[in-house]
Amino acid sequence: MWYFFFVLACVAMGVAQEIYQIDLMPAQPESLVSCAQEARRLRLYPTLSKSVRYEGPALARKLFGEISLGDATYVIMLGISAQNEVALWVDFDGDLRLTSTEKLQPTGYSWGLVWSFALLARPKGGEPYEYPLSVVWPEGRGYVVLLGDCVLSGWFQGRQIVLVDGDLDGVFGTKGDFLGVDVDGDGKIYADLDDHEYFGLSEAFTLGAKSFKVREISPDGRRILVEETSYVPPKVPLIPGSPAPDFTFREFVSGQELSLKSFRGKVVLLVFWATWCPPCMASLPGLRQLYSQFHAQGFEIIGVSLDESAADLRQVLADQGIAWPVAFEGKRWDNSLAALYRVYGIPTTYLIDRNGVIRYRDLREEELAKAVAELINEAAQTTSRGASLPKLSAQAEPILEIALPKEAGLRPGEETALSLRVTNASPYLAEEIRFSVQGLPAEILSKTPDLFDLPAFGERTVSLTFWAQKLDPKDFPIPIKVRVEYHYCVAEACFQMVQEAETTLVFGGSKASGFVFPWWVLILLATGAHATWLIRGRALSVFSVLILILALAILGFGVYLGQARQAQRVAAVLCTSCVGIEEARAPEVERSPELRRAFAELPKTAHLILFYTPRCRACPYAKKLVTEIAQINPKIRVEMVDADSERERAEKAGVVVVPAILIQETGEVLFGTNDLATRLLSALKEIP
Amino acid sequence: MKLRHLRWGTQALGIFLGLLGVIGIGMTHIIFPGLHCYACPLSVTICPIGLLQNLVITGTAPFYLLGVLAVYGIFLGRGWCGWFCPFGTVNDLLSWRKVRYRKVLSSLKFLVLLGTVVAAWRVADTWFCKLCPAASLTASLPYFAMGLAQPTTPFFIHMGTLAATLVGMIAVSRFWCRYLCPMGAILALFNRASFFGLRLDSQKCTGCRACQNACPMGIAPHLEGNSANCIKCGECVSSCPQHALSLGFSLPEAREYASLRLPWPRSRANRVPPRK
Repeated sequence: MWYFFFVLACVAMGVAQEIYQIDLMPAQPESLVSCAQEARRLRLYPTLSKSVRYEGPALARKLFGEISLGDATYVIMLGISAQNEVALWVDFDGDLRLTSTEKLQPTGYSWGLVWSFALLARPKGGEPYEYPLSVVWPEGRGYVVLLGDCVLSGWFQGRQIVLVDGDLDGVFGTKGDFLGVDVDGDGKIYADLDDHEYFGLSEAFTLGAKSFKVREISPDGRRILVEETSYVPPKVPLIPGSPAPDFTFREFVSGQELSLKSFRGKVVLLVFWATWCPPCMASLPGLRQLYSQFHAQGFEIIGVSLDESAADLRQVLADQGIAWPVAFEGKRWDNSLAALYRVYGIPTTYLIDRNGVIRYRDLREEELAKAVAELINEAAQTTSRGASLPKLSAQAEPILEIALPKEAGLRPGEETALSLRVTNASPYLAEEIRFSVQGLPAEILSKTPDLFDLPAFGERTVSLTFWAQKLDPKDFPIPIKVRVEYHYCVAEACFQMVQEAETTLVFGGSKASGFVFPWWVLILLATGAHATWLIRGRALSVFSVLILILALAILGFGVYLGQARQAQRVAAVLCTSCVGIEEARAPEVERSPELRRAFAELPKTAHLILFYTPRCRACPYAKKLVTEIAQINPKIRVEMVDADSERERAEKAGVVVVPAILIQETGEVLFGTNDLATRLLSALKEIP
Repeated sequence: MKLRHLRWGTQALGIFLGLLGVIGIGMTHIIFPGLHCYACPLSVTICPIGLLQNLVITGTAPFYLLGVLAVYGIFLGRGWCGWFCPFGTVNDLLSWRKVRYRKVLSSLKFLVLLGTVVAAWRVADTWFCKLCPAASLTASLPYFAMGLAQPTTPFFIHMGTLAATLVGMIAVSRFWCRYLCPMGAILALFNRASFFGLRLDSQKCTGCRACQNACPMGIAPHLEGNSANCIKCGECVSSCPQHALSLGFSLPEAREYASLRLPWPRSRANRVPPRK
């Protein structure tokens, strides 16, 4: 009898669903070409809520942070000595004592200091495992960036599969984690966010004629259960070497119907951009120059604008003198071409050869010019796959925190204001923040404000208003969603984000009102302070006591709102431009044609040695300048020397501050960056 | 102990607490009751003016900051300037020429405060910090000595404002505190209502103006004590031959003294009180 049931159960399970188990092991396979690497910012604080004992020599500055991997939490401390040496202490043993054995030395790069190590992650319900991690400190900042290297790999139906802990929480199967699957069986996995072999955990992947979906993942990531699901067409590859998906568009200025196919035989640069994206606007002069240089030889640019305002776009096209075709849908990120080419950040470029094959992606400036020249000169028949695929510099992630009251009361004929607090939890500027309300019945009208921008770590309270002439209490409560749409830029990439917050509209008065800013407190305080000059006698004493009570109350309210901690955070970040350490913004290298020509025409050979240090903020400017000069004139050779590690050499050359450029032939040393190009040019002219 | 020696002690304490980072503790939640740059490598407290600008930039209603400032103001008023502020102490060290203050210029500090807030609001940048001579002294110069600051334009601007302020301090005692300090402007609002201040026994005052000559702020303490420009340093108290002035904690009404409720007409040419 039992045997019968057992057989029946086995048959039933087999018929009902095909479930496959995939076993994974920690390994970063060589086949993983690209990966959407998470870069999580971790704020550092001068103190922690728990007491941590540091055992070592005195430090000028200490900043603490906590890394959580599953149930395990590790304290890290960034210490800067009086000699300006930076090191990282990691409390590997979790005893809240930071000893000399837990001190790690950094590897210095121009963009920051890097420490790589492994911690023991303890996922709930899973086995503890080693978690490789890198910590990057962009120097002078009050935060570090965590980079995860934790990749597990295995095989499924003869194809390699990788599982990545995308959100860096030490637990697999949580939001942000993803799979990379070698769906095309070429032995390479392209798992960047916009690649065709990247799959979020709720996304189905297709191998041959069957599609599969993740059913379960063990918290330590060692076991994945996948089940077959209805067929989903595979994603189109957009890697170099694959054919560029064809599309048609209406040219913005002429209104002419064009298709990508109609440009076959030409080298095409597909540019996704927008007028509101500063890096995109900065690249326009370079593109214009490239277009005028190569257009006659069969080079074309197709601009796909993610703008919403046609007037803005028309103005920019006219001002910048853009002659190439531009596709415009006025839908910002809902643009169909951006969806087709999986564009998550702009500027994004695809360079397509004469045969309609994608050859390069996201090339900028000199690299782009070189690649265009190469493709122009290439015979039309050849197709090659050998091209580099630059990675995205950052992954798009929400940066705003939205706080809404749980419910808002609505009465017929009365306006209801709903206060919404938006906090920027990142060091980036959030721009063009738009609010919209979803799920609202037609009879209720709403008015939503727009925020021009929200600075790093800033917060604003905005008011959404609702109004209705008639309301039926039976229709309530009404759940609504407030949608917040904005974009932000990190270095040379801009991202569009959408976040949602939920609340409920109830009939009548609301139980919980939103946070409304009590301006009256400030007015009262100002009036009070002024009144101290008018009041006399006993009234003055009473007044003083009242002010003291009021001051203590608003102080307490501020502490309750977390403003004491906010103040500490503000003060903990060193504003280097405020104290004269560096310019507020690094100046761009000027590239006036006259200056370039003058450098190109220098007749003598020269050897330039640039002395820099990893901490120096002005050094990247000097580096960029000398590199550019070396490219313009092959007779000029450039050598970069880290003055920190080669101190003797720097001292011998008479280098007292960085950046400094030593001209080997004359022994002259140029310091600083002010007017550097001109000074360097006249110094190079003096070479005998 | 002389009043002056006591004040030297509290001023030394101000400098010590301002540079407490030397013992290795990090930035705390405490707002400094004076002008002291939090970018200073040894600073462990928050500069109120720097914080104010950042809060204006980030659009935060500054409850905590205002509450703390009001509490500071009600306790000592501008007494913090005279007894605690490290930059005030620098002013004191160069207080050689105790000239009479100019009323027109003394309202400049309120304009500086207003300009600081408006600049932060409109330009979204901490412009006051970029010019602040206290930051030049306690942040720019140490960072330059550490090899971190470069001789760039912002550094030279800092050095320029520091040099100009130092020259001002030498030419006019407490120059910065008198005319330019925005923190002094905030504390000045509370000066009369604070629990710490000057008291004048108008029976004893002969109007000899010894206090006026001793005052580093250039006011006439027997007439304008506890006014917006009085830093309650007590120099006048020590200088008074009649011991008519005293300094201490009390309810503000108890020290509401004659100079503010003039027993003699203000129009008297020499403002000398009548002898009784």
